[in-house]
Amino acid sequence: MSKRRTKRYWKSLKERDASPDVLKARADEFPERGPRQFRRRDFLKATGFTLGVAFATGCSRAPVQRAIPLLSQPEEVVPGRSLFYASTCAGCSAGCGLLAKVRDGRPIKLEGNPQHPVSHGGLCATGQASILGLYDSQRLRHPLKEGKKSSWAEVDREIQAELANIRSDRGAVRFLSGTITSPTTRAAIEEFLKGFPDARHVVYDPLSNSALLDAHEQTHGLRVLPRFHFDKAEVIVSLDADFLGTWISPVEYTADYRAGRDLEAKRISYHVQFEPRMTVTGSKADRRFVVAPGEMGLLLTHLALRIARKAAAPLTPGAPEAVSVDSAFLDELADRLWHARGRSLIVCGANDLQQQFLSNYLNHLLGNYGPTLDLKQPSLQAQGSDKELGGLLAELQYGKVKALFIHGVNPAFDFSFAQRVDETAVLARYVLPEQHYLESWNDAEPVSGLVSVSQPTIHPLGDARSLVETIAAWNGKPKPAYDLLREHWEAEVFPRQKKESNFDAFWDRAVHDGFAEVEPLPIKSKQFNAQAIRPILKAQRPEPGAFALALYPTVAMLDGRNAYNPWLHELPDPITKVTWDNYASISPAAAQRLGVADGDVVRLESGDQMLDLPAFIQPGQHDQVVAVALGYGSKLSARFAKVGPQWLDAIVSVGDKGVVGLNAAPLLRWSEGVLQYHGAQVKVSRTGRQRELASTQTHNTLTVPRKLTPPGSGPRPVVQETTLAAYLKDPHAGVEDHEEKEDLWPTDHPYTGPRWGMVIDQNACTGCSSCVVACQVENNIPVVGRDEIRRNREMHWLRIDRYYSEAESGQIEVAYEPLMCQQCENAPCETVCPVLATVHSEDGLNQQVYNRCIGTRYCANNCPYKARRFNWFNYAHDDQLQNLVLNPDVAVRSRGVMEKCTFCVQRIQEAKIEAKRRGEKVPDGEVETACQQSCPAQAIYFGDLNDPNSQVSKMMANPRRYRVLEELNVRPAVGYLTIVRNRPPEGREKSKEEHHG
Amino acid sequence: MATPRPKPSGLLQYLGSPFVTLVLLTALAFSLMILVPKFNAYALPGNQLGYEPTQPIAFSHRLHAGELQVQCLYCHSGAERSRHAGIPAANVCMNCHRFVSAPLGAIRAEDELAKKEKREPQRVVSPEIEKIYDALALNEKMQPDPARQTTPIRWVKVHNLPDFVYFDHRPHVNAGVACQKCHGPVETMERVRQVEDLSMGWCVNCHRGVDRSGLDGNGNFTSAPAPAAQGPVPVTHRVYASIDCATCHY
Repeated sequence: MSKRRTKRYWKSLKERDASPDVLKARADEFPERGPRQFRRRDFLKATGFTLGVAFATGCSRAPVQRAIPLLSQPEEVVPGRSLFYASTCAGCSAGCGLLAKVRDGRPIKLEGNPQHPVSHGGLCATGQASILGLYDSQRLRHPLKEGKKSSWAEVDREIQAELANIRSDRGAVRFLSGTITSPTTRAAIEEFLKGFPDARHVVYDPLSNSALLDAHEQTHGLRVLPRFHFDKAEVIVSLDADFLGTWISPVEYTADYRAGRDLEAKRISYHVQFEPRMTVTGSKADRRFVVAPGEMGLLLTHLALRIARKAAAPLTPGAPEAVSVDSAFLDELADRLWHARGRSLIVCGANDLQQQFLSNYLNHLLGNYGPTLDLKQPSLQAQGSDKELGGLLAELQYGKVKALFIHGVNPAFDFSFAQRVDETAVLARYVLPEQHYLESWNDAEPVSGLVSVSQPTIHPLGDARSLVETIAAWNGKPKPAYDLLREHWEAEVFPRQKKESNFDAFWDRAVHDGFAEVEPLPIKSKQFNAQAIRPILKAQRPEPGAFALALYPTVAMLDGRNAYNPWLHELPDPITKVTWDNYASISPAAAQRLGVADGDVVRLESGDQMLDLPAFIQPGQHDQVVAVALGYGSKLSARFAKVGPQWLDAIVSVGDKGVVGLNAAPLLRWSEGVLQYHGAQVKVSRTGRQRELASTQTHNTLTVPRKLTPPGSGPRPVVQETTLAAYLKDPHAGVEDHEEKEDLWPTDHPYTGPRWGMVIDQNACTGCSSCVVACQVENNIPVVGRDEIRRNREMHWLRIDRYYSEAESGQIEVAYEPLMCQQCENAPCETVCPVLATVHSEDGLNQQVYNRCIGTRYCANNCPYKARRFNWFNYAHDDQLQNLVLNPDVAVRSRGVMEKCTFCVQRIQEAKIEAKRRGEKVPDGEVETACQQSCPAQAIYFGDLNDPNSQVSKMMANPRRYRVLEELNVRPAVGYLTIVRNRPPEGREKSKEEHHG
Repeated sequence: MATPRPKPSGLLQYLGSPFVTLVLLTALAFSLMILVPKFNAYALPGNQLGYEPTQPIAFSHRLHAGELQVQCLYCHSGAERSRHAGIPAANVCMNCHRFVSAPLGAIRAEDELAKKEKREPQRVVSPEIEKIYDALALNEKMQPDPARQTTPIRWVKVHNLPDFVYFDHRPHVNAGVACQKCHGPVETMERVRQVEDLSMGWCVNCHRGVDRSGLDGNGNFTSAPAPAAQGPVPVTHRVYASIDCATCHY
């Protein structure tokens, strides 16, 4: 056997370069911190006390419990059964369809609506977590006037009186909001503003895509956002557009992208990403190039010149500077694009007019308008205009505006109607509470011709009012939102379709499905106008020694709207795995140049703005770029000063300023009338201070014992991948190491009924972390806070291990491996439990019995996947309102108990019982785990492995299937499918090919 | 090989001195004083046996289920469809008590009295049934009185299980387990009493027995409805009581 070269995977730079000591230490789940202080005698004392307590408790009655039935029970309500209501997510303006699971009058979980044409059943981490906003005890309950409690009657009267004054004085009225996709609300605002001689609705998005729309205004005569069809594109070129992570409508794009990369259907698109920092999208690219933000325009010019030459189109050539990307590669890319005319897509994430012109020009030359960029049925998910915002700011400076209404945005934070008192709300005279989207009627039109419905799922908490109701009251026609919505639909939406002739039937259908498909709004685009297009001939490079700034949204915080949400603060970032902080991310080379390590606080200076942030060293980032996440440092996060267990040794989760992270928005700058997130020049210097980041990237590292290393090669990697070329030749490519070992206890588990199993397609997984939050909501997983995470005590049952590796080209590659309890057949945890608190079930589940567990932690110690979590504390459940989100089907665990993924056994039980009631077997697809249900990429399959026709059985038989740490022969019930990168063969595949050839 | 333990610093150096023991014992005594009243939050299995709390309305199961032969599932309809059997909503009571406002004897007595006194018989409402009308804020004509607040009825739960147990009525009722098997002869009880200890051993013993000898030991391994076709009973119709932990604990 020839010596095989195995690819090395590493989770952090320290691990890559580490000495054997560090490698040994990573095998420990909880690294030691200082000397042990708990001695045997102390242990005996504590045991004695516990026994004493147990004896003293033996003889008493349980407290009286009440059972309070409804007085009048509606027919469809059965206490203990869940109802699902179709609604629309308002976590951002993408308008994904969801099903709210309502139990005994309160929503407890949001699931994706599989029929929804935008989201196709997925729901992102933000959407999943948005349910917590409903039960936020700090949500505004009543109107505020000058910071004091007021009533709707009072504020309505005063505001109406003042508006009458302004109207007679011909004063200026401005309504500032984020993108509003609701047609009813937009019409109401329009009608409201019509009553004033000088009134305007200004729309701005804190994560602006203004330039993309402005560019289309000039090239196509229409200020629209085309609907991108990633499923129809065979070649995708993205210039710093993080469309799988945070860009415009990530769930929709992920579903489409996944559809275009379906190995089973033999369809796989080719995706090239150019970006300055590692993004979720870049981590999935087949080829990824690190390009400075200032060079992006130049790169577009190079590409445009090549395509223009092929299309024989005129483009003033000039003499562009050389670009850092290999020109042979650009030639090849241009060939591929040209070959895939009308089946390719170029997206550009920069908020820069010139770059967007070039991107439009490229898409135009390639004939992509129509097939992959739809202008007839455009997307309405981002409509903000930076120009309008700039105009408004100027007007405000001159004191021209008499009344300013702000809805849903937080301009005082980014450079009201509000659900919470945020930075803007403290400045406003009147603060009017708006209802959460789960307690009010609303609609949304995320894509022209697709109108989605939102319906209330709970009796409103507090005295809030929806925006349409408020405006209707000011228009002098107060009405409930339901009536307003129906009126608008009957007049405007219903006539846009012909299928249904009865409005009531149409409405009922729409409310039931959660959406209605109607004719798109008529629009007419003009001939492509190439007038404005100018090639960009020079790159903008920062001065030597300085850095270019890249401000970016994270999957969790977005623009800061989620700063109130502890689940999202605790969600490890898909790439950096850091929680509860933002940081200055720099490349390893830059870190060496500056002499900083992870957690060293660095000072960023740009103009007169200054920001001190801990450094984080990020592989795959441009050496002259420093990247900082937006959305942190919000006043809304001040509440987390006391999150997590408060014990002697606890450290607060918030920073020096009393909030989580620091607001990087002051570093934003205006350029040519648009907000620039990239490119500002900053100076970076050391401060000498330290702030340890709570990063989970090196926690729970899987290690392979040396003796199990296959002979003649390095250890078998925990991630297995291959290239498309090799896969097409042999679908087993990448899993050659796979070997079925003999079972030592073949008769131990006969599995006569179903056997539950899971398959995870790593090729589809984008690392978006929606599953992590879905699991947290479903299974009542507590929030532990920054300090506990620092101590490796995060409680997530499902984690996504992110591995880096280096391709031959030197490109840093990322592999995601969602990891939860593998429900092993020969589970190492089961054999070591002294009290049988973890045992095997007859349908293949590794059961964890909380009430039997005494907390020895032997099981966690013996788990090779490090999938078990220990309750070090009784995590806080003091907030009575927030407790309403707890899933009543899952026990809330207490201190001293081990827990782990259960394959959502509560859902399995429900399906089994219901199937039995109907007198049938559990049908395939009836049990969907929480992670599987919400996955936008549909990367998770779950079902009965004993049923040869189930989807999961078929995926288990897929030639790409392997198992993590298979050599241990613990026989896990979770299979993984290899990552297939669309590339020529590499490494050992290539050498093999040469050998065969 | 053993390296000498580093000398403890700070407070740790006082560990083991009699003073510390004294302090700890005092602290233990004080903490017990605080903790003991809270101990009743924990209960051992069997403690609740014979629990028979007074209810806000003196509802008699003996009368309804025994004498009048009202089916259990008429009021506790959730038992077939949900985890919880459920306590009926007041509008279920009103299906009958819209017309029945007092025991028949009391109404007859009033009729006779009225005849004797030569007047129209008055409406007789028993004080217990009055409580339902009050809860629903109904007036004399059995119409909702907008001036009054409805108040939910706060029944006292008799059969309580710990929070880590997920009992489900559905499979039991649908397999044909009689309600009395666990709840006792409710139709003879004036006030409902817990007659079984509801401990895990009690559950598991029954589950084991069912698997060995069928439901109630009658060799009946099939649950209704029986499959129409002849042949072996399909797995899905077999009464099978799992003793996996995750059947109840998750």
